[in-house]
Amino acid sequence: MSDIPVFILHGLAYAGLLFLVSSGLTLVFGMMNVLNFAHAAFYMMGAYFSYTVLKLTDNFWLSIIICPILMFAFGILVERFLLRRVHVFGHVHELLLTFGLAYIITELVKWIWGNYPLAVNLGNFLEGQVNILGIIYPVYRIFMMFCAAVIGLIMYLVLYKTRVGIIVRAAVNDNEMVNALGINIPLVFMSVFAAGAALSGFAGVIAGPLLTTYPGMAAEILIDAFVVIVVGGFGSLGGALLASLIIGELQSFGALLIPKLSMALIYMLMAAVLVIKPSGLFGEEQ
Amino acid sequence: MKGLNTRVYLWGVLLVVLLIVVPLLFPRYQIALMTEVIIFSLFAVSYNLLLGYAGLLSFGHAMFFGTGAYAVAVILNHFQGIPILLAILAATLVTVVVGFLVGSLLLRHKGAYFALLTLAFNALFFAVATKWYSMTGGDDGLSVWRPDLNIGVTILNMTNVKVFYFFTLIIVGLVILFCWYFTTTAMGKTILLMRENEERMKFLGYNTNISRLILFTFTGALAGCAGAFYALFFQFTSISAISIDMTTTVLLMTFIGGTGSFGGPILGALVFTYLQDFLSDITDRWPIIMGIIFVVMVLYVPGGLSGLIASIRERFGTGNVTGTLETEGDD
Amino acid sequence: MDPSQGILEIKDIYKDFSGLEVLTGVTFSVKNGERHAVIGPNGAGKTTLFNIISGKYKPSTGAIIFKGRDVSKKQPHVLNQRGMSRSFQITNLFQELTVLENVRAGVRCRQGLRYSFFKRPEHNRVVAEKTEQILELVGLADVMHEPVSALSYGRQRALEIGITLSTEPELILLDEPTAGMTREETAEAIRMIDRVTRGKTLVIIEHDMDVVFSLADRISVLHYGAILASGAPQEIRNDQRVKDAYLGEEE
Repeated sequence: MSDIPVFILHGLAYAGLLFLVSSGLTLVFGMMNVLNFAHAAFYMMGAYFSYTVLKLTDNFWLSIIICPILMFAFGILVERFLLRRVHVFGHVHELLLTFGLAYIITELVKWIWGNYPLAVNLGNFLEGQVNILGIIYPVYRIFMMFCAAVIGLIMYLVLYKTRVGIIVRAAVNDNEMVNALGINIPLVFMSVFAAGAALSGFAGVIAGPLLTTYPGMAAEILIDAFVVIVVGGFGSLGGALLASLIIGELQSFGALLIPKLSMALIYMLMAAVLVIKPSGLFGEEQ
Repeated sequence: MKGLNTRVYLWGVLLVVLLIVVPLLFPRYQIALMTEVIIFSLFAVSYNLLLGYAGLLSFGHAMFFGTGAYAVAVILNHFQGIPILLAILAATLVTVVVGFLVGSLLLRHKGAYFALLTLAFNALFFAVATKWYSMTGGDDGLSVWRPDLNIGVTILNMTNVKVFYFFTLIIVGLVILFCWYFTTTAMGKTILLMRENEERMKFLGYNTNISRLILFTFTGALAGCAGAFYALFFQFTSISAISIDMTTTVLLMTFIGGTGSFGGPILGALVFTYLQDFLSDITDRWPIIMGIIFVVMVLYVPGGLSGLIASIRERFGTGNVTGTLETEGDD
Repeated sequence: MDPSQGILEIKDIYKDFSGLEVLTGVTFSVKNGERHAVIGPNGAGKTTLFNIISGKYKPSTGAIIFKGRDVSKKQPHVLNQRGMSRSFQITNLFQELTVLENVRAGVRCRQGLRYSFFKRPEHNRVVAEKTEQILELVGLADVMHEPVSALSYGRQRALEIGITLSTEPELILLDEPTAGMTREETAEAIRMIDRVTRGKTLVIIEHDMDVVFSLADRISVLHYGAILASGAPQEIRNDQRVKDAYLGEEE
């Protein structure tokens, strides 16, 4: 019973992670109408790059800075040279491309780093536990929540308080209109896509040590992220936040209360949303 | 029409190869491989009715394939003495029901949303199959035995590779033939309308929800039938049959073969199966090669191999694009 | 159906999209066999009105009465099956299919040949005859085997009308059928529309006043989401409010 607060916190930590991953996904989808299946692969790449950086430098802070930058660059390349090319063939092709990309990345990861879980050694970094209001809780998870909160705040400030943010939000809502206003849409697309990749990679970096770094981690978070954006509504950041919290807590308590069905719980939530309000909590009516 | 004769000629050759050359001249391993090709041809054809004909990209088709595989296993294990055809039919019917239920939840969703949901459902099915040990054997899977087929004059031993090959060729072949006929029927034309302009269809009196539901149920049933044969072929069924990997396989096959024609997926099944067989002997990393081929084709050869062949023929003026609708999968 | 009632009654239709008011109380009626034009400046809500009539949107309040029955909440396919058909302002065809297949889609639906797994539309004589009739009617018989993408804009607009007719409607709604057409194409279109809508009821949205005045029996003027005036062409021509609000701007 006294464990409940711990589970709540676990749920929060995972929710933070989910939010980091799904926010990029939902923005890209809202704006470009492309569901990026490779998004979770970016997450995985972040975790694996981090593993290598750690192996080479033993400096986690360095990893936290470098890996997202690497993923940002990778995101630019993917959007500019792959995604943009298939745009003319239609939505189906875009989906197929991101799917194929995810597939290749997963196989390459298996090839380069091996098809087994990796031990990510953080050394003394944020190890140990801390006492919050009488609850003993791992520092690292608090760090995760903190990162998610900070990034979330930065995103909010950028999107709602800057000119760039207004452009991005407008593009998510109606990109033809934004194009008509003379703004360089391809540049906006590329930047948001790359930013999403960086976010996802960052999430991978901090998740790796906690959730196991292994080739299946992409698929694992992909489904959850997808459920988040279905429940939260496509294109809605607020929806992604709320849904992440719900899913995070469901995962945490589900594992506790009904372990056999915990996976199914998430899908049932999704099915319920589909039936009751298909556009999600905050999505637009189609 | 000149083109028509070439086609008839080609199909004729194919038939001869399948009926005579393969069983008489191929070694057992190759006969088995061809059986696998036939089974996957049905799976891919059913997938293409969704993708190429109706323009619906599904990332969950293996949920039906796997359902059929598990259904036939469970039926054969529970009803000793049941005729093999009846078991396959029953397994297909189970998949019809499943297809109907899942389809009814996905009526109004299009494009990426639809793709995403099918993926999630596939994951759900996979999760259920993994956990429901009593029904599916979980990670262990279920073994499937092939009952003998009594056709009156004689009893055929289905465990014989050649016998099973012919059985598969005839039954699955007939099903595939029906699928081809289907594309000329009213419903077959209606699904083309779905691809081209689902919105306008409504204003012409079509109930698009019903159209979707019928199509999804039908293609699901076809996949379930293929899945049943798959389980019988390997004499074993496991969670791999209902996995997203299996969906990836059929997606790759269909796309590589070409979504713009009826025969594309069949070609894809052939090429993919043989390529996989060939590559896996050489390297453990064959999935990467498949993935690269796939992405390259998405980027540069969107019509797949059959599209490539069609444009080569046009280029050299040997044939016209004939008869049935030879169009790109989407535009 | 009460003969004094119109085939189509628009009753106090109000439509708002999340706070944006597009229609603020539209009422008019269309008699059986009448040719009724709806005119008004851009943004007045004409296409939204069509969308509501044809079932694409539901009105926020108000009712659409078609052949005596309230159809405000009915789906588009139901309305079509009951005898209403509409065209689209932006050509809305089955792009990769041939002209013939485009027209046949509606014809065979009307004949009940929609979901059959066994019957083949190509082999149905009634479907074939009716399809040819329509192709002749809209002047596209010579290109029936061409894909839509090969047609000129004017002919695509003709096909748009052809498809609208293919379901044998009693009430035809045409949304700016001559949009983007040249002088000659427009004149030809007027003749064609006149021909194909004989004996049926027509409601047409138009900007081109020549088209309106050559075809319409009655005109309704939509201005900022409400009907400004409704009556015979001459009345509308002479109505001061209309002139101030609309005809003056147009010319």
